[in-house]
Amino acid sequence: MRNLILFLQRYVHFILFAVLELASLALLFSFNRLQSTAFFSATNSVAAAINRMWGDAAAYVALRDVNTRLEHENTLLKMQNDALRGLIDEQRHTPDATEKRIGEILGKYPVIPAKVTSNEQRADRFNHLVIDRGTDDGVADGMGVVGGGGVVGVISEASAHYSLVIPVTHKKSAISCRIRGSDWFGYLTWDGGSKLIAYLDEVPRYAVVERGMAIETSGYSDVFPPGIFVGNVLAVGSAPDGQSLRLTIHLGTDYSNLRNVTVVGNLHRSETDTLRNHTAFVEGVLEKN
Amino acid sequence: MRPEILTRIYWFIGLWLVQVVVLDHIALLGYAIPMPYVYFFCLLPTNTQRWVYVATGFCMGFLTDLFTGTPGVGAASCCATGLAAPYLLNLFAPSGYAFDEPFTPSVRTMEWWPFLRFVISLTLLNCFVYFLLEAFTLMYFGRLLLTTLLSAALSTGFIAAFEALRKNTRHKRL
Repeated sequence: MRNLILFLQRYVHFILFAVLELASLALLFSFNRLQSTAFFSATNSVAAAINRMWGDAAAYVALRDVNTRLEHENTLLKMQNDALRGLIDEQRHTPDATEKRIGEILGKYPVIPAKVTSNEQRADRFNHLVIDRGTDDGVADGMGVVGGGGVVGVISEASAHYSLVIPVTHKKSAISCRIRGSDWFGYLTWDGGSKLIAYLDEVPRYAVVERGMAIETSGYSDVFPPGIFVGNVLAVGSAPDGQSLRLTIHLGTDYSNLRNVTVVGNLHRSETDTLRNHTAFVEGVLEKN
Repeated sequence: MRPEILTRIYWFIGLWLVQVVVLDHIALLGYAIPMPYVYFFCLLPTNTQRWVYVATGFCMGFLTDLFTGTPGVGAASCCATGLAAPYLLNLFAPSGYAFDEPFTPSVRTMEWWPFLRFVISLTLLNCFVYFLLEAFTLMYFGRLLLTTLLSAALSTGFIAAFEALRKNTRHKRL
């Protein structure tokens, strides 16, 4: 307080000067038209500049919200765009020979059209697909999934609205396939390399196989009807154990460009399941006895 | 009231009257307007409080404005001159043992040339601020400078005349 009083005593003439000068300028701007016009023009310019700067600053601060809103709008527009593109593609799509054949085969089976919503390619080779149909649409575990290029995979799990598909390009996938025009069959596996190359193992050594022959589903399981295209033989080789052939297959399904698929149902699956369960039960009882 | 204070009040009123009645109507060569009322700052001794310079400057300018039709111009310029006056006096006052004591600026105490330098700086400052506020633009800076120089010269002349008159009066009294 004492310091404040000393300060005021020391600089009282400056304070008085400031007050009186302000009073003089107030008089000047109040009673002189030229000066008041110039002063108010200048203050208006300054006020406008400050307002502009303030507005710019406020707009800059609000950019985060604007950005969030734009991102949201962008996402919605992208989704709409994708949906519209899908519809256009469906309208323009002309099925090729494989698709026509698959369509003919599947005509006898209940089918559920679906779209791939997630196509996960993992480093550990446990790849998965997610489709937008679930138990509410009739999808169940163990159903086969085919696409325009042929076999895609098998339903692993199904929720109400989505289903998880184990594709051919999965480390544990094994689908029973045969060489078209014959009854030699084997199991289709994938080694984690190219997504277009799989292997048909356990084909008998005496089987007559040539490069370019078509491979299709054998129908020995309830998953796929027989005759669904899988791919073409790219090379014929021996299995590591030397007891059978190992065919290198060029898959018909391109997993990096997969959108529309079809889930294939089986009208008689419940019957075959019942039979299997019954057999297993009987064998279990006999084993115990 | 002390006689020297009364004398200063008489001078204050006299200078104001001379300014508003006579000198304000003079415009020599269309530019030079004498404003010798700053002479009042020469009547204040060096030990005067600085706020007194500012306050009396404002009063002189304000009262002059009332009759010259330029409200605020004289008050602002004279107030600024009042603030600067003690600093200018320190700058131009002769140094020495005799000047360590308080004195009133005059030809008698400072000699002509130091006194005139003090007066010239006062009038230049006052005239520049006055005409700058009156024009309120730097667009015609040459004209502003010319008006300032001529008015300051004329004001200095009047102040020199007042000072000579005052000196002679003191001599006669002695």
